[in-house]
Amino acid sequence: MDLLNLSIRELNNLFVNKKAKPSELYSEVFDRSASSEAALHAHLSLFEETNLKKAKNSDQRFSNSENVGLLDGIPLAIKDNINIKNEKTTCSSKMLSNFISPYNATVISKLDTEQAIYTGKTNLDEFAMGSSTENSAFGLTRNPWNTDYVPGGSSGGSAASVASRSSIAALGSDTGGSIRQPASFCGLVGFKPTYGTVSRYGLIAFASSLDQIGPISKSVDDARIIYSAISGHDSLDSTSINDEQIDMPFDKNATIGIVKELMEDGISEESKKEVDKVINILKQKGFNIKEVSLPLIKLSISIYYLIAPAECSANLARFDGVRYGLRVDGKTSYEMMENTRAEGFGDEVKRRILLGTYALSAGYYDEYYGKALRARKKMVDEFSSIFKECDYLISPTTPTEAFKAGEKTSNPLEMYMSDLCTIPANLAGLPAISIPTGLSSSNLPLGVQIMSKPLTDNSLLNFSEMLEKELDFNRTPEGWSK
Amino acid sequence: MNLKPTIGIETHIELNTNTKMFCRCKVVDTEEPNISLCPTCIGLPGALPVPNEKAIRYITLLALATGCAITKKGMFHRKNYFYPDLPKNYQISQFDLPVGENGKLEIVIDNEKDYVEIERVHMEEDTGKSSHEGTGRIDSATSTSLDFNRSGVPLVEIVTKPVIQSSKVAVAYIEELRQLAIDLDISEGKLEKGNLRFDANISVAPSESDELGTKVEIKNMNSLRSLERAIDYEIKRQSSAIENGESIIQETRHWDESKETTTSMRSKEGSADYRYFSDPDLPNMVLSDEFVNQVKDSLPPLPHENRNKLVETGLDLSDANVLSKSEKWILELYFEVFDNTKDSKATFNWITGELQGQMRKLEIKSLPEWFSPAFLSDVIKLIDENKISFTSGKVILEELIQKDTTPDDVAKKLDLYQENDESAISEIVNEVIKDNQDIVERIKNGEDKLVGFMVGQIIKSSGGSINPGIAKEILSKELNL
Repeated sequence: MDLLNLSIRELNNLFVNKKAKPSELYSEVFDRSASSEAALHAHLSLFEETNLKKAKNSDQRFSNSENVGLLDGIPLAIKDNINIKNEKTTCSSKMLSNFISPYNATVISKLDTEQAIYTGKTNLDEFAMGSSTENSAFGLTRNPWNTDYVPGGSSGGSAASVASRSSIAALGSDTGGSIRQPASFCGLVGFKPTYGTVSRYGLIAFASSLDQIGPISKSVDDARIIYSAISGHDSLDSTSINDEQIDMPFDKNATIGIVKELMEDGISEESKKEVDKVINILKQKGFNIKEVSLPLIKLSISIYYLIAPAECSANLARFDGVRYGLRVDGKTSYEMMENTRAEGFGDEVKRRILLGTYALSAGYYDEYYGKALRARKKMVDEFSSIFKECDYLISPTTPTEAFKAGEKTSNPLEMYMSDLCTIPANLAGLPAISIPTGLSSSNLPLGVQIMSKPLTDNSLLNFSEMLEKELDFNRTPEGWSK
Repeated sequence: MNLKPTIGIETHIELNTNTKMFCRCKVVDTEEPNISLCPTCIGLPGALPVPNEKAIRYITLLALATGCAITKKGMFHRKNYFYPDLPKNYQISQFDLPVGENGKLEIVIDNEKDYVEIERVHMEEDTGKSSHEGTGRIDSATSTSLDFNRSGVPLVEIVTKPVIQSSKVAVAYIEELRQLAIDLDISEGKLEKGNLRFDANISVAPSESDELGTKVEIKNMNSLRSLERAIDYEIKRQSSAIENGESIIQETRHWDESKETTTSMRSKEGSADYRYFSDPDLPNMVLSDEFVNQVKDSLPPLPHENRNKLVETGLDLSDANVLSKSEKWILELYFEVFDNTKDSKATFNWITGELQGQMRKLEIKSLPEWFSPAFLSDVIKLIDENKISFTSGKVILEELIQKDTTPDDVAKKLDLYQENDESAISEIVNEVIKDNQDIVERIKNGEDKLVGFMVGQIIKSSGGSINPGIAKEILSKELNL
């Protein structure tokens, strides 16, 4: 039976009705991930042995009707910046190539309770800094739709894993679009929840005020199942909030805003067309649709590239060779730290640490970091007032379809522009989702992003699911089954 | 040239919470390294800080007790610098929005009240401890060992304005601050354990100048002796440099205890830029009115309030200051004894002199259970009424500390009650006169100092039961002196 294209709910149904076993699913997943690895390099590690045992335990639970929930026995891939106890967490960095985490991230503890299975750790841009998964110290990941192309990033390994059906779904992290952009490039659903609803404890920080863990999956329902398992207040994360969801309409009583600034220059015609397609569907269903303007969105890349590097310059200071990870010796402690950091970090990481250090320096703070904070605050206010008149905001997820590997590596600024549409949701802490809508002329997936106000994650998922049904995208990249 | 020194002091006080500032690791007092650690306090990737509410409460207590204005919406900031014992290579601290600002602390100098203005009171997490092998300095050590038990232990930092003018005031200020922390029960206050560590910023400028001179910071002292000597040394060093026309370099200096000098550590020119920014892992530190009022209501009597009460009993400020810096039970004992004796000076002297002296001699830290404050007031009263001698009072006190008995029992058992009947005393006096005619002769010839000898003889023949004053009085009468 080909289990790999099924949704979590469908798989659970088969398990419950004893028509399939988690261990069978696991074998299929493992075969697929192992066979696709050479072409895609989605994974940095695959956990075969422990998992087969876990899958068999899950078999046992289903046969005794002691299964715990929808995720019991479901193989998930985990981005390699999320700590799993006693496993390596490398962040795709030479700095952490030997780092074995002595503790679980909160999301992993929660998935453990659900008896989910982890297929392995997925590749990413080093420390989640990048938009193509090319900035990995352990080699780039390729797009399952066409291996000449990048899968997006930084959660490109997770997206490639799910798209190639090497896992049923995956966890990614999203600081400026790192879940939604690769999901869009790979024809998947990518969901970045409201900031604070999913604990960051055990997620290796890039930019703490922007980072959020979320699912990459084949369907909105799969994303919902994972989100409901990993969300909730965590006493180990001070920025964690009580997940008190606000209900919003997701039928034609809802008002839809099209973000004007994200339908202008810099966005490809093909990306705009996908938005138009969605708008037409909504019009036909009788939704109230209007164009809205958020002028500060135009500044979001500038704001982001001050705030995120500033936070990362401090977050990554702990990698010094003293207590764990890479150590490159030197004559003094300071020389050792310098040598370690010089050798351990890749160019993009160094670029951002330098940028952030500069932005926080005495004499420059007000002009750069301070100004960015003020602009961010204003952008949050802009969103708040727009959400008084709209329930959901629609835009392309990415300015273009996936680009070719190597195409943008020599031009960081161009690479940064690929996050134009996704960054605003991180700056404002909003829930945002990318759903696949169609294929480009080069047969690469495209997606549309929907944003809503904080703590309306469930309504956003419901609304997206309604659209998903109408769009009936349901396409899988070819060439990965046997 | 007339020069005046100006000193500002930054003090770090280690709080006595059970757990660390941002994780739930126990605060341990041990030489065994690295036994109380977790992902957060050793800065493992992905670990996050969660503030210790008790520590924030303690810092608020101190801020209120020093009369600071409380910042209702404070913030945690990251202070960025690289050092091997700082696990995250940034320290979570506070910057422009500390817990408290603009307070003052009352101190006593030469029997007079004085005040040291406080600029700010804020939270910090402590670093680990480095031991540099070889030279003792990080940049030339052959190896460095790290102990992270102390990493993340909550500290409160108290910064004075540059208002202190002498080492004497500086020492009085630290003594007062230490007592305050102890009375608030927020710290053990043990200097020898490094519970309080201080940095002094010292500058010297012409007396008539409104501007401060170039400041020099002396870092990380933990004894009053070092503080006093380092300040005195530095004032002298800077003064003679200025008098010789040299300029002072803004720098950090280290107090060398053995050489009794300060030596340059690093120049502050082009100095560390800590790149403070608000910690995105921590929400604002909101101190609600309700919380602040509740903390205010829980304030115990403060040292200056104790002093005021002591002065009301008749003590001078200087003695009151000594008592305000004593252990709590001594203060309580004072008030209980004073209630009976109404004699502040005698009560003070007996407690701080005789009682504490005896306890030190006997090496006991607290009074035995049977020792009632009434014992001490009884002894003082018996002396006051001439029923026993001062010396007998000491003997009785010594017995009372060691045995479950009463002053009356001891006095009776050791026959310490004095003979106060004049005719009985006269009888003994006349007997002694008769036995010492040669001495009496010499006294009459002007050898006054022999009166003392005669008094001694009288007391001796009475077996110590005669009050010396009365003996002398009667002797003088009998000899017509």
